Amino acid sequence: MSPEAVIVGGNRIPFTKAGGRYAQASNHDMLTAALDGLVARYGLAGERVGEVAGGAVLKHSRDFNLTREAVLSSALSPLTPACDVQQACGTSLETTVYIANKIRLGQIPSGIASGVDSASDAPIAVSEPLRRILLKANAAKTVQQRIAAFSKIRPQHLAPAAPSVKEPRTGLSMGQHQARTTESWGITREAQDELAATSHANLAAAWDGGFFDDLVTPYLGVTKDTILRPDTSVEKLGALKPAFGGPEGTMTAGNSTALSDGAAAVLLASREWAEEHHLPMLAKVVDAEVAAVDHPSGADLLLAPVAATGRILERNGLTVGDFDLVEIHEAFASTVLATLAAWESEEYCTGLGLSGAIGTLDRSKLNVNGSSLAVGHPFAATGARIVASLAKMLHQRGPGSRGLISVCAAGGLGVVAILEAV
Amino acid sequence: MAAVATRAERDVEVLAGTPNLMPAFARSVLPRPHSGPPTIPTREAVIRNYSQDPARLAAYNRLTGFTLRDAVPPTWLHVLTFPLHIHLLSDKESSIKLLGAVHVSNSMTLHRPVSVSERLNLGVHLDALRPHRKGALVDLIGTIRVADEVVWEGISTYLAQGVTVPVEAQPTDREPFEPATPQALWSLPLDLGRQYRAVSGDPNPIHTSRLAARAFGFPRPIIHGMWTYARALASFDGRLPGAYATRVAFTKPILLPTTVGLITHRTDAGYRAVVTDRRGSAPHLAMSVDTPQLDQ
Repeated sequence: MSPEAVIVGGNRIPFTKAGGRYAQASNHDMLTAALDGLVARYGLAGERVGEVAGGAVLKHSRDFNLTREAVLSSALSPLTPACDVQQACGTSLETTVYIANKIRLGQIPSGIASGVDSASDAPIAVSEPLRRILLKANAAKTVQQRIAAFSKIRPQHLAPAAPSVKEPRTGLSMGQHQARTTESWGITREAQDELAATSHANLAAAWDGGFFDDLVTPYLGVTKDTILRPDTSVEKLGALKPAFGGPEGTMTAGNSTALSDGAAAVLLASREWAEEHHLPMLAKVVDAEVAAVDHPSGADLLLAPVAATGRILERNGLTVGDFDLVEIHEAFASTVLATLAAWESEEYCTGLGLSGAIGTLDRSKLNVNGSSLAVGHPFAATGARIVASLAKMLHQRGPGSRGLISVCAAGGLGVVAILEAV
Repeated sequence: MAAVATRAERDVEVLAGTPNLMPAFARSVLPRPHSGPPTIPTREAVIRNYSQDPARLAAYNRLTGFTLRDAVPPTWLHVLTFPLHIHLLSDKESSIKLLGAVHVSNSMTLHRPVSVSERLNLGVHLDALRPHRKGALVDLIGTIRVADEVVWEGISTYLAQGVTVPVEAQPTDREPFEPATPQALWSLPLDLGRQYRAVSGDPNPIHTSRLAARAFGFPRPIIHGMWTYARALASFDGRLPGAYATRVAFTKPILLPTTVGLITHRTDAGYRAVVTDRRGSAPHLAMSVDTPQLDQ
């Protein structure tokens, strides 16, 4: 029998709004902080871990080896290898799958899955025409050629290109895409605000109950997620103006995730390794599935996890009712609601090649300790945040408890995974 | 703005805030006619309840190579005490002036991790004026407390050329240097001194101006020794424990722009690093980290 990949535990730094308390921190700084907190929590100082996989969505070109550099800055042994993985907002669920698969294949006994993003310290690139001119000037062999190249620079070339969350093939922002999905699935403003308010209330209760005491390490004086508004309500959220979908739109800054800064990491291991190191085992990674939609042809950009969910359930012979807890990443409140509606739609699911509707979720199982609307969403850190939190929640419920994670991502991608408490 | 109070045996001058460095610096470089044996101020200059600026720390860390963590580098704590160095050296009681004084060595002890969020009580006093074959040595002794707990101590030793102390000079020990191929090469740009001035507040123009550097016998600006020290210490970044002692000896100034080499070793006590010329044939500074609680 192949080894199991168990989740030992996780660590993240509190998430903050972009431009806030981590405005000066780089992805390298935050990822190192998340790793070092994990190292401290599980006594890994000087330890050679099998591999660390991490990544960031908004990434500077100098950070080509972001994760390896963070490992070198961390207290882990410098002999710990690392790699960068990037799958938009699915990044650190994908790094979890990558590490778990290597453990299950017996290639590594332990590993760390991680992700980080800074919307504050985002890379700014030169404009595309200027970049081409600079490359040409750099390749020039004579002064004349170089002068000729530079003479092509025009004032409009000097405007820097900030990273955008636009889909390259549609030119639409993620919010614009989701506004179309929201409208076509008939998701109401009230339902979105209610889901957002619940997310804040759940997260606030989890913090108050000490749930994050062994999941979060303070960083730069921040001890708690700063986007969380414990006192928000459907009424307060209802007063906000639409941010997407025009004046009649239903999506607001309150029911959409805020640009955020943060990092998260998860320690995974074989049972043997965890036992040898006297470490806890919370849950095992049972299976994972990735899917994509053809959004350039008009499909709902953020509903790719639906196909992934349908396929993983069929492969494992499970139904929605077999899960004790479900985590659906709250890119937008309406993404979660449209996902749940799609699960219930026979037509949509069979259109994906599934044998029928996925089913109806008991909403009391959904995001019970809050999710991205309240925590924030540093793109590549979200998956690892969810994995660590869900593993702990399942463990609290007892062996055999099952959980499903569904994360949507730019590019029409979706990653899902099944965890089971051990 | 300054009040004098007594703590232990030493007078304490409490400053209301960080002194304005430019006028103090100007005073601290002006030579004053002085007769009789050299003197140094005996009081401790203190800034209480100092709040660290996270943005400045981030800029300092970016420039010196440290990862931005909750716990700050000991060299950053030195930087926080530096205005008090200038304040005391600008004192009329001080025959040691910054002008012509050379920072020859530094040692620091970090007693525990110090968080960027902690409020600090900074104190500096001068001590141990003693002879050297080229003049006189003096120690600027910094102490940082959180409430009453001493969390950091630093000793900066300056050589004041042309100052004569009427005691026989003691030979100074210097660790032997073995030429070796550097493990790393650092390319230091001409404006590095300007960049370090922005984060350290050290206004000495020999680091930023060719003219000023020439006036002191350097053909080009020289980088601050404390930048080089910090950069070398940062090369051990992830392996530095929460508490340790570290010291440095500055051998030869680094003229900007240039490329220098780094040679590091493990030692029984911890780590040692030498910043050399690019070939690894001559040292600019040698530093060490001593820790009883070394990882792995």
